[in-house]
Amino acid sequence: MSDNKNDVLTHPTRRQVMGQTLGLMALRASGVVFSGVPGFSQALAAGEKSIKGQLIISFSQEPTVFNPHMPHIEVDDGIHFSLFDPLFYVDPEGKFVAALAAEVPTVENGGISADGLTWKVKLREGVKWHDGAPFTAEDVKATFELLVNPDFRSWRKTGHDLIRDLKVVSPTEITWRMEKAFAPYPSILASTFITPKHLMSASADPNNAPFNNAPVGTGPFKWVERVAGDHITLEANADYFAEGPYVERLIYKYIPDLNVMYTQFKAGDIDVLGLQWITPDHYEEAKDLPGMTVSVVPAATVESFSFNMDRPQFKDPAVREALYAAIDKAAIIDALYYGLPAPTETYMPQQSFYYNPDLPKQAYDIDKAKELLDTAGWAPGPDGIRAKDGVKLAFTCSTTAGNHIREQVQQYIQQSFKDLGVEMSISNLPPAVMWGEYWMMSKFDTVIVGLNFLTGSDPDTSDYFRSTSIPAKGGAGQNTWQYANPEVDALLAKGGEVFVPEERKAAYAKVQEIMRKDLPFLPLFQYATVQGNKQGIEGINPNVNTRINTWNVGMWRRA
Amino acid sequence: MSSVTIPSPATASEETHWWKSRTLRRFMRHRLAVIGVAMITILVLSCVFGPYLLPYDELFIDLRARFAPPLTGYHIFGTDPLGRDIAARLFNAGRISLLVGFFAMLMSTALGTLIGIIAGYRGGLTGAILMRIVDAFLSFPSIFLLLALAAFIKPSPFMITVIIALTSWMEVARIVNAEIRSIRERDFVLAARSLGYRNSTIMLKELLPNAIGPIIVAGTLTVARAILLEAYVSFLGYGIQPPLPSWGNMLNGAQQYLDRAPWLAIVPGVAITLAVTSFNFIGDGLRDALDARSDLE
Amino acid sequence: MLSYIVSRLLQSLVLLLLVSIIGFAVLNLAPGGPLSQYALTPGMTQETMDRIAHQMGLDRPLPIQYLDWIWRLLQGDWGKSYRDQLPVLQIISSHLFATLLLMGTSMVISIAVGTWIGVRGATKRYSIFDYTATVGAMVALSIPTFWFGLVAIYVFALRLKWLPAGNMYTVGDGSFMDYATHLILPSLVLALVDIAVWSRYMRTATLDVINQDFVRTARAKGLSERAVLMTHVLRNALIPMITLAGLQLPTILGGALVTETVFTWPGMGRLFLDSLGYHDYPVVMGLLMFSAILVLVGSLIADILVAFVDPRVRLG
Repeated sequence: MSDNKNDVLTHPTRRQVMGQTLGLMALRASGVVFSGVPGFSQALAAGEKSIKGQLIISFSQEPTVFNPHMPHIEVDDGIHFSLFDPLFYVDPEGKFVAALAAEVPTVENGGISADGLTWKVKLREGVKWHDGAPFTAEDVKATFELLVNPDFRSWRKTGHDLIRDLKVVSPTEITWRMEKAFAPYPSILASTFITPKHLMSASADPNNAPFNNAPVGTGPFKWVERVAGDHITLEANADYFAEGPYVERLIYKYIPDLNVMYTQFKAGDIDVLGLQWITPDHYEEAKDLPGMTVSVVPAATVESFSFNMDRPQFKDPAVREALYAAIDKAAIIDALYYGLPAPTETYMPQQSFYYNPDLPKQAYDIDKAKELLDTAGWAPGPDGIRAKDGVKLAFTCSTTAGNHIREQVQQYIQQSFKDLGVEMSISNLPPAVMWGEYWMMSKFDTVIVGLNFLTGSDPDTSDYFRSTSIPAKGGAGQNTWQYANPEVDALLAKGGEVFVPEERKAAYAKVQEIMRKDLPFLPLFQYATVQGNKQGIEGINPNVNTRINTWNVGMWRRA
Repeated sequence: MSSVTIPSPATASEETHWWKSRTLRRFMRHRLAVIGVAMITILVLSCVFGPYLLPYDELFIDLRARFAPPLTGYHIFGTDPLGRDIAARLFNAGRISLLVGFFAMLMSTALGTLIGIIAGYRGGLTGAILMRIVDAFLSFPSIFLLLALAAFIKPSPFMITVIIALTSWMEVARIVNAEIRSIRERDFVLAARSLGYRNSTIMLKELLPNAIGPIIVAGTLTVARAILLEAYVSFLGYGIQPPLPSWGNMLNGAQQYLDRAPWLAIVPGVAITLAVTSFNFIGDGLRDALDARSDLE
Repeated sequence: MLSYIVSRLLQSLVLLLLVSIIGFAVLNLAPGGPLSQYALTPGMTQETMDRIAHQMGLDRPLPIQYLDWIWRLLQGDWGKSYRDQLPVLQIISSHLFATLLLMGTSMVISIAVGTWIGVRGATKRYSIFDYTATVGAMVALSIPTFWFGLVAIYVFALRLKWLPAGNMYTVGDGSFMDYATHLILPSLVLALVDIAVWSRYMRTATLDVINQDFVRTARAKGLSERAVLMTHVLRNALIPMITLAGLQLPTILGGALVTETVFTWPGMGRLFLDSLGYHDYPVVMGLLMFSAILVLVGSLIADILVAFVDPRVRLG
């Protein structure tokens, strides 16, 4: 099933940008959508949009950052998608769809030069900001410039810092040159929202611009107000250039407790559940709730038991392999997660075109684990803990304090390891401590963590796996495992240079194979969320390539 | 004033045996205090011997037996989300929680008494500075100090004890300071000073015994408070770390399962309430028996 | 009087300075930081985190950061939240209403019920009522508030389904009755401890007054027991209570914290926990200073009021 589906799920984006001859052929083969937003023409044909009612969407974290270029978390993304548009976005199938761009730039339509270095983007005409000012190429230019402004707290410069000779040709056309070919750039652009020049430049300090708390975009909804600690209200942008919106008002309600959120959902107080949706233990009950649509939706995040490879205990591959065999994945998924998430052997989401389905399957086998350790010379000491050359097989395991199910998993694994003669002690930390230096600078022994390794649909993971990305060794990325393998380095470099999806796929399949063998982290499962909404709300369409289900909120409607 | 022995109020009645003392008789007449002693004795005995009487290990995980309600088989209090026996966890948790409470009391009382005595005896600038520091600590919500400190330090039972002690010494310091101030100019102190006794000797031998009553009362109430604080901090996830059970961390996560497994919340909560009530009863009884000032806050 | 107030104010300033130094040190020396929450964003790199930390001035030496912060504070600038860039005072004030509503309701309940229990207990000393109230108060003081909240939610929200389990109002409703039903559980849970405290103090205070000469005189004059109670005893017994009320003001932050967490009440206590969780130092420091100021002002006002009401008390 997955094979066929994966053909549809092609993520051919890279090549489309980089467009060499081979790429062009693949491009045609994969049938990239060039037209505008789907439904756009129909909407125009219909003449007018029917806008009625309101939707209450709940989040368990509070959205607080409304300038999409500043550091933010998932729920902030949800608000950004309602207010702003990128040049083009990525749909659930991984295809790019034009938004503020008149069409997705490709080699075929002349948007990108054959060497992938020169870009020419035509913009949609007649688009207006929420305050009535016209949207032009100057706004795009100002956005790109802001992203690399040294005084601005831009959350991501990657890719944007390669732009040179940024030129506004006309109000609806902008061109630039890339310093070097950079494969993931289209995926980055697909999550780069365009912000208005006239408001951003109005303030001397862009970090403290009034805009940041009264955002103005081109999106389907306009900012109304935020009641801090409680909710955010948006209203329909009747002049929206694409399909939607269909509801007059959106209320993003902050409910910090998932049980309360679920209770209120059951009571009918919430129309659509947002992050973190329904906890797994409520799924059985939730799926039979009358008047509600509840479904299991996969997310791109992969849960892993991560090692700090710099610790002497974990330098021996036999140890990592033995520990993997000692984890009863099926019990964890079935009992503690109620069978919802899918077991996995890799960091790549199973919906991705680049997913490698041929990796060996982990099997829970404590005897094999013992044998592995015995063979490798890790013999039990007088206290029952295995040791070798004076190194005890004892370590701490950390994760975010307060994540109850994960804490249960941890204690379950702890018991399994104890049977193996491995002493794992638990040391959980509050999030702000856990994911600070402790994680980034590799000060942990082991960590249970859920990571989304991809940017949108792009398979490049250089920032995570390349040996030069280790922050603890002065690297710039997030290779906190301190994993170093020259072969992986070479494959990642190749994956960024080759633009034919099939060729790229070969490189990334190999990376996955090596990671499965080296096991710098033990892949446990790919996340599944239990999402829900009241029946009679249409247009909700989960997108594994975005972090939040409100990515297409403009198309949501009450039947 | 040249006699070597200085009569001080505390040493006056040392001749009589303590079990015949008026204090004890008054305490025993205080019905609540006696109930408190009885309850705490039962609790302590259960926590010490309970685990040996139960067929389950407090750390043994059995996923097939998750969420068993109380009185399922030998699980008298049911099981938790990992299928561990709650009774076994409760008794082991009690050991931790009671020890944390007791040692936190010892530490905070020692620290508070030290600061209170120095501030009260020295008075003047030293006293003022010390007491302003006490005021400053009191101006923080104690839960803030606890959480901030807990984020600092790797949570182990010992460190939690220290942290709780660090946030609950101020009241003892105030009480002792007030007590010492009121007797600092009395004859026996002046006499000791005129005899050239060292300050530390005066503080320990002359002043401390006179403040011992209020200190004992405050100490008893501090045990109660420390058990509560441990529960708060562990409930919020910053305290004693699993799998080591404490009454507080048994409640952590219980809210999530309130609907389907209310016993997860009820059992440890009742234990905490019983223990804290007992210490408060005892403290009340001691206060009456020692005839200490009744306006302790 | 004036010189007393001035010297108290000066002492308070010194105290505030101490509080700010301790608070700032404890917060900033703790590991982690406000940027940690972004670490797991796909594509986040250490380089980016370092750059943003530098732009925010988080990599400066702590004393410099402190001096910068206190200097701005002295000029009336409480700083801006790291999370949403809003001025700290604005954030605090936007959470103030929810907390005041909860605390106010619970305080009214606890003062009314606590006074009644206390006075009744004192006038009928050693009765069954008095004894039950005494024991009840001590048990109430021993119950962990959050646990009592959980039990209340279980009984009244989950089992009986009479009252909502949390939040301040139903999304999209927000009528008076809606607020009222949401208010009942948390305010009663919060009031429990205060009722216990008030009834104990009230009992003591009433006992003090009841045996004084002017009460005996009033009784001798043939006034009804009720009139004596209302006009003479209650009024005089309430005087020391003013001090208590003043001292309760600061618990506005600490006291509501756990209750607000359990009932997901959008007040200052939860703001405090959230901000602490995100290491949003400006907001946490703001809340700390705010609550410290409340403590000091509260006890100062209480002392002054008592001096006005009760001529026997001399400030000096």
